[in-house]
Amino acid sequence: MAVSVAPAAPAPSAPASQAGPRARAGWLFILPNLVGVTLFTFVPLLSVVVLAFTDWNLVSGLGGIEFIGVDNFVHVVQDPTFWGSVGRTIIYAGLSVPLTVASGLALSLALDRDIPGRGALRAMFFMPYIVSTVAVGMTWLMLMNPSAGVVNQFLAMLGLADLPGWFASSYWALPALIIIAIWSGLGYAAVIYLSALQDAPTDLYEAAEVDGAGPWRRFRTITWPSLLPTTVFLLVTLFIGTSQGFGLVALLTSGGPGDSTTVLPYYMYQTGFQFYRFGYAAAIGLVTFVGVLLLTLAMWRAQRGRALHD
Amino acid sequence: MTDTAVRPRPAAPAVPRTRRTPRQRRATRNRWLWAVPMWLLALAFLLPFAWMLSTSLKANADAFTVPMQWIPDPWRWDAFVEVLTGEGSIVPAFANSVVVAAVRVLGEVLTATMAGYAFARLHFRGRDKVFLAYLATSIIPAQLLLVPRFIYFQQLGLYDTLWALILPGMFTVLGTFLMRQFFVGQPAAFAEAARIDGANEWQIFWRLYLPMATPVMSALGILTFVWSWNDYETPLVLISSPEAYTLPLSLASFTDEQGAISANLTMAASVVSIIPVLIVFLVLQKRFVRALTHTGIK
Amino acid sequence: MTAAPRISRRSLLAGGLGATALTALTGCGGRSSSPATTLNVWGGVPAESGPADLIAAFEEAHPEYTVNYTRFINDDRGNLKLDTALQGGVDIDVYITYPMESLALRSGSGMGLDLTDRVAAEPGFEPFLETEAPRAFWQDGRITALATARSPRFILLNTAHLEAAGLEVPSEWTVEEFVAMSRELTTDGRYGCYSLPDLPRIELGPNYWYTDSGDSNFSHPVFLEHMQLSRSLIDESVLFPWTEVLARHLEVFQQNGFVAEEFSLWATEPFSLRYLQDPEEYPHDFTVAAAPMPTVGPDSWNSGPFGDFLMINSKSTKQDLAWEFIRFYIKEGPPYLAPGGRIPTLENVEDETVLTGLLGEDADDWFDVDSFRRVLFEDETELYVDTNLTAYPEIDLAYQQQRDLCLIGERSPQAAIDSVDSQAQAAIDRFGKES
Repeated sequence: MAVSVAPAAPAPSAPASQAGPRARAGWLFILPNLVGVTLFTFVPLLSVVVLAFTDWNLVSGLGGIEFIGVDNFVHVVQDPTFWGSVGRTIIYAGLSVPLTVASGLALSLALDRDIPGRGALRAMFFMPYIVSTVAVGMTWLMLMNPSAGVVNQFLAMLGLADLPGWFASSYWALPALIIIAIWSGLGYAAVIYLSALQDAPTDLYEAAEVDGAGPWRRFRTITWPSLLPTTVFLLVTLFIGTSQGFGLVALLTSGGPGDSTTVLPYYMYQTGFQFYRFGYAAAIGLVTFVGVLLLTLAMWRAQRGRALHD
Repeated sequence: MTDTAVRPRPAAPAVPRTRRTPRQRRATRNRWLWAVPMWLLALAFLLPFAWMLSTSLKANADAFTVPMQWIPDPWRWDAFVEVLTGEGSIVPAFANSVVVAAVRVLGEVLTATMAGYAFARLHFRGRDKVFLAYLATSIIPAQLLLVPRFIYFQQLGLYDTLWALILPGMFTVLGTFLMRQFFVGQPAAFAEAARIDGANEWQIFWRLYLPMATPVMSALGILTFVWSWNDYETPLVLISSPEAYTLPLSLASFTDEQGAISANLTMAASVVSIIPVLIVFLVLQKRFVRALTHTGIK
Repeated sequence: MTAAPRISRRSLLAGGLGATALTALTGCGGRSSSPATTLNVWGGVPAESGPADLIAAFEEAHPEYTVNYTRFINDDRGNLKLDTALQGGVDIDVYITYPMESLALRSGSGMGLDLTDRVAAEPGFEPFLETEAPRAFWQDGRITALATARSPRFILLNTAHLEAAGLEVPSEWTVEEFVAMSRELTTDGRYGCYSLPDLPRIELGPNYWYTDSGDSNFSHPVFLEHMQLSRSLIDESVLFPWTEVLARHLEVFQQNGFVAEEFSLWATEPFSLRYLQDPEEYPHDFTVAAAPMPTVGPDSWNSGPFGDFLMINSKSTKQDLAWEFIRFYIKEGPPYLAPGGRIPTLENVEDETVLTGLLGEDADDWFDVDSFRRVLFEDETELYVDTNLTAYPEIDLAYQQQRDLCLIGERSPQAAIDSVDSQAQAAIDRFGKES
């Protein structure tokens, strides 16, 4: 989540302009959103904090909430499944998000030219992003069947002998999920990049070409910097998409085989909605939240520190 | 699937947009040289869709035969008839999904753009503190908030209404964050100039910055639409009457009592439910480009 | 700049959509409770496999009442939906609970009306009052739920394969004999059996995960035996490979493999019979016979439970009407429910009526009817109701995870069972205080 800490706006001579109509305008502008976020996110979040100190099973209603102090937190830090899920989540998000962005960029560059049927191509690549997870799950289950699936048949055609077991193997299940995540997100990333590429400074290309800059240099010095905000945008949306989109795990592996695909959001879901330990689920969520928050703050500090020294 | 990831710098922006005559012939050849692999890749990408379509057209048990049966035998349309007109018709759920997604998109794009603009371009006391709170909540997994929202909407009397899906989706931290990210990158000089000309803050936002933001707003719109369209967990917990089902709930109900999914019905319903999203995408995709050419920032 | 006109168009659109939304929202927003003569029932069986007919019959017998049936899916999410609906004050009068852990939660949280007095006053309902081998769920000495169905497990046999191998349909057999037949039925490209019957359940019966003192019972040798035997039979290709089970999610699609003749023997429950008489969706050209569960000794249990727990929502304002419905459901309902694979708990309906319901109109085309009559009604099958449910979902998950790892060959049976044992004990220690 380092991406989310892009330093606050250039903030020039801020103090002078903090009063007056501009300040009031600022609050008015954020008001609709702030009220909504407060009501539907901040307040529920506070109740999560309260729940984390309780033992509660939902079915017993509000009257059934029982305060048990820090018990849940003690269990969380000692829970091997929790730490295992943290590791798997880092692998899953850490691989699927950057790979989706990178391949999306490659695809967008390939498509950013006068190809017959460009619009249709774009739509085709984007389609995986919009299909319901239920259908995606069922389909990939068939395609990735270790013995009869198209994927392994293709790999066998390439001459591979030791074919992956995909969802029937605790080593391959997570990579399989990562591949499907990339398949789903790639077209989305490419489409966003494509719209950003429309915006690339054409005149600079021409100048650079005249100067004899090769394609790689032109990409590095002109295209890439102009794509940076888009990249941040994609990293954030995809990261949040993966952390929330545990639907694939739920539909394809239920966290297995063993606990090889039990990523954090799924573990939390399992604890809450399968075991009905809502207090414990809240504690897991809170510990995760605080952990990521501290990490983010530390990075922000570091970034600020560097900015000051520059 | 991943080969695009590792292909080294496949496409530096080699084709110039200019039309220099000596190059034209080579460009035409290049066009086709590029087109063929791209179309092949796209077809490979669509393979799963071919499977979905084929499954929707065959008997349920045939969906799971090994090896895979790609061509339905016999061809059957009843799954489509069933999901459109049968007992568990997805049509009402379809309408609900459209309403929820449309209201969410409008609300989200409007409030997030305004707030994102203020966080990026306006200075006011407490701004950074509020924004920090926003940032912090943007990393919360949605499942964490499901139960508190359930209790909350139950107390407000909004449980089991579409409002329970719409309201949290209209005011999001993420959208605000994305819009802010965009406005931070826009030059402040315009605003300063406009202020000197006596424009008020609303005019500056509405006339100057908003038009620049339309591509990003479209992107946020597409995103919000897709998220809303495919959201399964939220309605699962917050909706109970079948009349208020959204598509994912309706889709998931094509299972038998053992939890086995009825493949042909699910696939037929999925195929039908892709169509509107595709339309939204195709419409907004055009707007990306148009918006860009109109704004003059290109 | 074209911004201004575009935006006004957008606001027009917004207004239009807002109006549409408003109608849709108010349309389903009101959840005012239904009239006093309308009963709301939630169940997991699709309406068309029985409940609709039962309700039609009830409405005919009581024309002054209307029954709304809502079907929920009996999985984690579907049960969550019912739980939130119950908790959210949705108008539900009668509902059916399937998994034991949901039953314990709902009953323990006061979501089930105390039915004890009504049961005691009802002639013919005496079996529900029994506490030795309970057919009702007891919470602190009171009945909160009635088990309305028996789900005896049995072995289904593909008679074509049996004939080809020159084998007879067994009327009783041991696990050894079962394994032997599975081996004989195994051919090139076809497996003898889908999976091994649950040996620990057959040997230990109810509460088999817990010792008498409530600790983890997984150190009992039968758990290890079951795992070892399953694994070695998978290695021999007698049992269906577990990698395929995982890769195809076959646990919920077992009928597909049986219909496609990928294996010959199938340990299952009555609900599966519905697939085998559906030539439209599950075309096949062999008949199916039934054999009882194999035994491990004279005191063997059938590994099937009593289930389908009927409950009245304690918040219901129509409790008398709800009870009227439950009476009808138990007394008159079985013939309507049999097509959905429901065998009534009370033996108040003719066996032949139930059998016809279970096997369908053209029973002889699809089944060896006599074998089913024998297995379902003549055998004395010992069913169970679990009463100790400490840390049930945690243990259930731990067992599934380790079983998967063991059966796909990534972990030894001993290591898998040891891991289940320690995880179960840890969960019991942590949550034991609750039960």
